[in-house]
Amino acid sequence: MPRLDRLPQLNRNNLLMLPVQVNDTTPFTVPAKPLTACRIAIVTTAGLHRRDDRPFGPGEQTYRVIPSHTPLAEIIQSHTSLGFDRVPQMRDPNISFPVDRLRELVARGELGGIAPHHYSFMGAQRDLKRIQEETGPAVGRRLREEGVELALVTPT
Amino acid sequence: MLARALETEGIATTSISMVREHTEKLKPPRALFVPFPFGHALGRPDDPALQHRVLRAALDLLAEPAGPLLRDFPDDAEPGDLPAAPAQASGIAAAAGTPEDPALETSQMRRYHEQWLARSGGRTAFGLSGVPATRFRGVVRFLQAFSAGEDADMDERPPEAPLPNFIRYCADDWKALYFEARLAMKPGVNGEDVARWFWSETAAGQVLRRVGKRLEASEDPRWKAAAFGVAR
Repeated sequence: MPRLDRLPQLNRNNLLMLPVQVNDTTPFTVPAKPLTACRIAIVTTAGLHRRDDRPFGPGEQTYRVIPSHTPLAEIIQSHTSLGFDRVPQMRDPNISFPVDRLRELVARGELGGIAPHHYSFMGAQRDLKRIQEETGPAVGRRLREEGVELALVTPT
Repeated sequence: MLARALETEGIATTSISMVREHTEKLKPPRALFVPFPFGHALGRPDDPALQHRVLRAALDLLAEPAGPLLRDFPDDAEPGDLPAAPAQASGIAAAAGTPEDPALETSQMRRYHEQWLARSGGRTAFGLSGVPATRFRGVVRFLQAFSAGEDADMDERPPEAPLPNFIRYCADDWKALYFEARLAMKPGVNGEDVARWFWSETAAGQVLRRVGKRLEASEDPRWKAAAFGVAR
């Protein structure tokens, strides 16, 4: 869904109250190679991190690095808003962090490879200034330095 | 927003969008709007075929020469009759005869949680508070004391975590223990069933309602924010 007209009033109002930046144009990078030769990373706002990493606090605009070989049992989620159902993530982390699906696409030759690291931010943020100006571009530069061409951006 | 920042650095992005109205305003370079409930970005858990369809639709946007692109994933994939967002405590009445001893109940749930761990290969949402499940009765006592208005705290609280954040992590761990225990008990249930069971039938649910009320009654915005995440 989240078609707004199907949400309970409380959730709808919470979403509509979130300040959303209005843009007229977008930056646009055409991949330099065909997908079958590109390396892909997941950049998620699901608030995931390694179990031994520091949990996200509310409104935190930093990011966590998740080595792409990290077993799913070693990943935990500190974005736990009551606005979304946590059961799908408990059952199958691929619901927001589709590492198994991406590996399958690489095995089938549909993607070139998986990045050495995935990156994670906290979701449901009101103030995004630091992500926009500092931590978001920092992750972009890291990906570029790691030879990664593509990012799949996923929410919870 | 994040996608725009990455794209500016030369990374081609494709995003999954859950709120079309926000995406229309933000204009990320490429977005696939999916008609799924919150918490279901890739469709359904344990449904690799649907997850692959979503991924393929998102990756297909990378073949387009210009943007912004906002495409809709076909509506017919909507998973069943799940509500768009889970039921909240305030909309669920406590059942008569809810167990009275949350510590005893937690010990019983731990047995089912161990079954969950055995089945999931050790995967668990439990672990934010840093207090292991074997010592979780201490967390239960702490949350009970807090809910009763006492000046409660725990030695295990890391110095960098303010009290309301730590309460939130403890509450999240308690819920994770129960939710995963319930999934081990009744493997067919969905998130809506589990939320309704937790808030109506468990002693833990009733303690967390009171924890939420105490946090909510505070003048401190950090306490109020934590309340919004514990029970609303």
